[in-house]
Amino acid sequence: MPEAVQEFAKARRFLKERLQRDYTTLRGYSEERSNVRQLLQRTAEMGESNSLLLIGPRGAGKTTLINAVLTDLLDNKAFVDNTLIVHLDGNLHTDDRLALKSITVQMRLENAADGKVFGSFAENLAFLLQCLKSGGKRAKSVVFLLEEFDLFCTHHNQTLLYNLFDVSQSAQAPICVLGVTCRLDVIELLEKRVKSRFSHRQVFLFPTSDQLEQYAALCQELLSLPSNSSLKSAAERVNSLQMLRSEALSFGRRHFDPAAYTFDSRFREGWNKQLAKMLASQPAQRTLQTLYDFDISEAFLKNFLFRLVAQLREESPHITAEQMSALAAQYEGDDKVELLCGLSVLELCLIIAVKHHSEIYDRDPFNFEIIFARFSKFAKVSTTMQGVERSIVLKAFEHLRIGELILPVSSGSGNASGKVQKEFEMHKMALTYGQIQQAVQRYQALPTEVAQWSQSSLI
Amino acid sequence: SRLAEGTPRRSIHLSNIVEQRVFKDDDIISTPKRGRPKKSVEDEDDDYTPKKSVQKTPTRSRRLSTATKPATTPSKGTTATSAAAPMTPSQKMKKIRAGELSPSMQQRTDRPVKDSSKSQLQLAREQLHVSVVPKSLPCREREFENIYAFLEGKIQDQCGGCMYVSGVPGTGKTATVTGVIRTLQRLSKQNELPAFEFLEINGMRLTEPRQAYVQIYKQLTGKTVSWEHAHSLLEKRFTTPAPRRVTTVLLVDELDILCNRRQDVVYNLLDWPTKSAAKLVVVTIANTMDLPERLLMGKVTSRLGLTRLTFQPYTHKQLQEIVTARLGGSEAFKGEAVQLVARKVAAVSGDARRALDICRRATEIADTASVKCVTLLHVQQALAEMIASAKVQAIKNCSRLEQIFLQAVAAEVTRTGVEETTFMGVYTQVETIAAFMGVTLPAPGRALRLCATLGAERLIISEHSRNDLFQKILLNVSADDIHYALRVGEVN
Repeated sequence: MPEAVQEFAKARRFLKERLQRDYTTLRGYSEERSNVRQLLQRTAEMGESNSLLLIGPRGAGKTTLINAVLTDLLDNKAFVDNTLIVHLDGNLHTDDRLALKSITVQMRLENAADGKVFGSFAENLAFLLQCLKSGGKRAKSVVFLLEEFDLFCTHHNQTLLYNLFDVSQSAQAPICVLGVTCRLDVIELLEKRVKSRFSHRQVFLFPTSDQLEQYAALCQELLSLPSNSSLKSAAERVNSLQMLRSEALSFGRRHFDPAAYTFDSRFREGWNKQLAKMLASQPAQRTLQTLYDFDISEAFLKNFLFRLVAQLREESPHITAEQMSALAAQYEGDDKVELLCGLSVLELCLIIAVKHHSEIYDRDPFNFEIIFARFSKFAKVSTTMQGVERSIVLKAFEHLRIGELILPVSSGSGNASGKVQKEFEMHKMALTYGQIQQAVQRYQALPTEVAQWSQSSLI
Repeated sequence: SRLAEGTPRRSIHLSNIVEQRVFKDDDIISTPKRGRPKKSVEDEDDDYTPKKSVQKTPTRSRRLSTATKPATTPSKGTTATSAAAPMTPSQKMKKIRAGELSPSMQQRTDRPVKDSSKSQLQLAREQLHVSVVPKSLPCREREFENIYAFLEGKIQDQCGGCMYVSGVPGTGKTATVTGVIRTLQRLSKQNELPAFEFLEINGMRLTEPRQAYVQIYKQLTGKTVSWEHAHSLLEKRFTTPAPRRVTTVLLVDELDILCNRRQDVVYNLLDWPTKSAAKLVVVTIANTMDLPERLLMGKVTSRLGLTRLTFQPYTHKQLQEIVTARLGGSEAFKGEAVQLVARKVAAVSGDARRALDICRRATEIADTASVKCVTLLHVQQALAEMIASAKVQAIKNCSRLEQIFLQAVAAEVTRTGVEETTFMGVYTQVETIAAFMGVTLPAPGRALRLCATLGAERLIISEHSRNDLFQKILLNVSADDIHYALRVGEVN
């Protein structure tokens, strides 16, 4: 049935795109959202100057909240006509010079032409301040969005922050400074005069999904197919965004476009029914519980679901609980044990020697000579390891080091380690005993001698 | 820094020569004269005859011959048909540097809302904004008198001098000084006081201390020149006696930023007043009281003198007075609400900005509750929001394994007695607690991820996860906070 196949492919594409590119849909946080929205609205309409910090853990939806608020406000013509939006990112604008150039370009000041800014750093700052000073209540409001706000605090003297906050606290052009960060103690990073000028409005965003039920509901919402009418209304919202595409809206450009999708109602109902049934089952609930125990953020769940959706094939067009738990098991797995299982027997023998050394001397550091002596003692009496040359063992030791299973003690400067010959350089082991044990158990076709040796250091 | 400046310019061929001249040459002032003679410019020019240009006559003439064409033609063109022909960016930049193009902001399309249509609460909120500085600051009368007497005396005596004003942020330093100067300007307009010039710089608005020269010179003439040039011109102005020189009052805000290791800028700013030719009165503002002794060199401290004034933090009574003065006769606030704000803020910092911001937030809260009057409850909510401590909240909203990790760090701290723990010790504790609570144990790799998440939030302070099991972990919240957050949750 090619039609069903088509419908299925469309659904998969829809789900993937919604997981990845839906930048403006925010779930929950109604109070915080209205708080930020009112603040921006007052800045635009009344010409009030404000400052705000949005704080929350990574993946909590801080940027999405701002995007959602801006989408709401961009419907409002009074807002669009009276405000300029300036996006700054602490990762991109690594010093005030770059940030200032970007501001000049985004505000389209007179010393900028086609994205090129003229004059020195000092001139740019002076010009920007003069511009802001010249504007009064009649000037357009400017909304400064500072993402990774804590990185702006590391700039020299915090000049940019001081000046932005200072403008917001003096009778100049109305601006709103909106900082976004994941650090809870960000206020402590501000210098005291900058701190005094900041208005101390902080909005905290914590993922509120306190119970597993909400988490499961969110999961269901992210996977289910919406009705055509809700698709249409979402498409209208996105279209209103695209009217403003020319604006410097970073999220307007490649936004998820629900207008491209309509679903056959029979297919949709079948899909949603199947999904609800699957999610209500015991194994699916258990999988969700393990995910939820690890990380409650929406971003983490989305990542998981994307992998799940990507696994869907035409032959098995429904998500099953088994798929979920298999994928979750991948998350649970230990990569270091995988790495250990990929080592050669010689390298594993060295790891076991390291383990014995660590157990006997209570995690004292070791060098190649110590480990080689311990290994030779085993090799002499073993049947498989007898003829191994020293240089080969050294090579294996270096492999372990490059794989960062063992770490040099004098971390930091490489000069100090260069003076010591590589056979005598001291190392420490970056593994727990449990991991080594697991690896020995899971290793394919390990000689019995080695397995026995790993149990006890006595030979 | 030159490199960074140079890059955009290099790509534009025409502007190359012109801008180089403006930046590096000593004779910028002489070039515009060629195009259109201006009296003020000529005065300046006579005042200042650069020595450098005399030494480098050949280079200068060569440069002139190459540069006159691009430099003069656009200026002629723009004066004739300024509206018709759009300026190239470099021409525009030249105008900006000459101060002929005033910087402007884009204007709104609609008119701002009329005052009459605003509610009482909105009016109160506008009055409470920090930017609305009142004509006379309440509770700063004594300091006003002090600075007024000093400045008036200096202006009357035509002698020049220095003053150092200090105090913690938000105690009305800059507002008082500018208030005094406004009063003096009004007096001099009524001819009750000799006329004086007023210059103002702020250390934090400069990218480096030497830019102070540029800003001062810019406020005198409107031109932007390089700092070396500005420095020599200012030196000329202040050291050579000129008849009918008016007194100049220079306000230097954020003095501590102007201090670099050499302290040449601060020295110059404080040395000029000692010259009899310069009738310069310098008022310096900074936060710390002992800045001259702590940071400045002996000779600079000596020049700063002992005329000092300290602004004390506001007491709760003063803060209350400030807020009620802002509100005027408005009934938007309950008396006890203002008192609560004043007491809470005075106990922390005595920062007037903080009190005003909290009051403003309280009006917003009352607004959303659709009440016309701000009561004690609204203020309490605003205080809770703005003197926020969200750490307990953050711990409560961590995932289960993150909470276990935090508990494990706290347990390891109690076990070892040392604040600094290593990941290995913490992981052993995680194993124990997880076994005790019946949770599946996360592998060390995942535990490192938990650690990084908590480190990004700054609930703990951790190193880069490259050092794996050996990274050091510090607890950034108090262990009591963890117990409080997790126990109180358990009871419910």
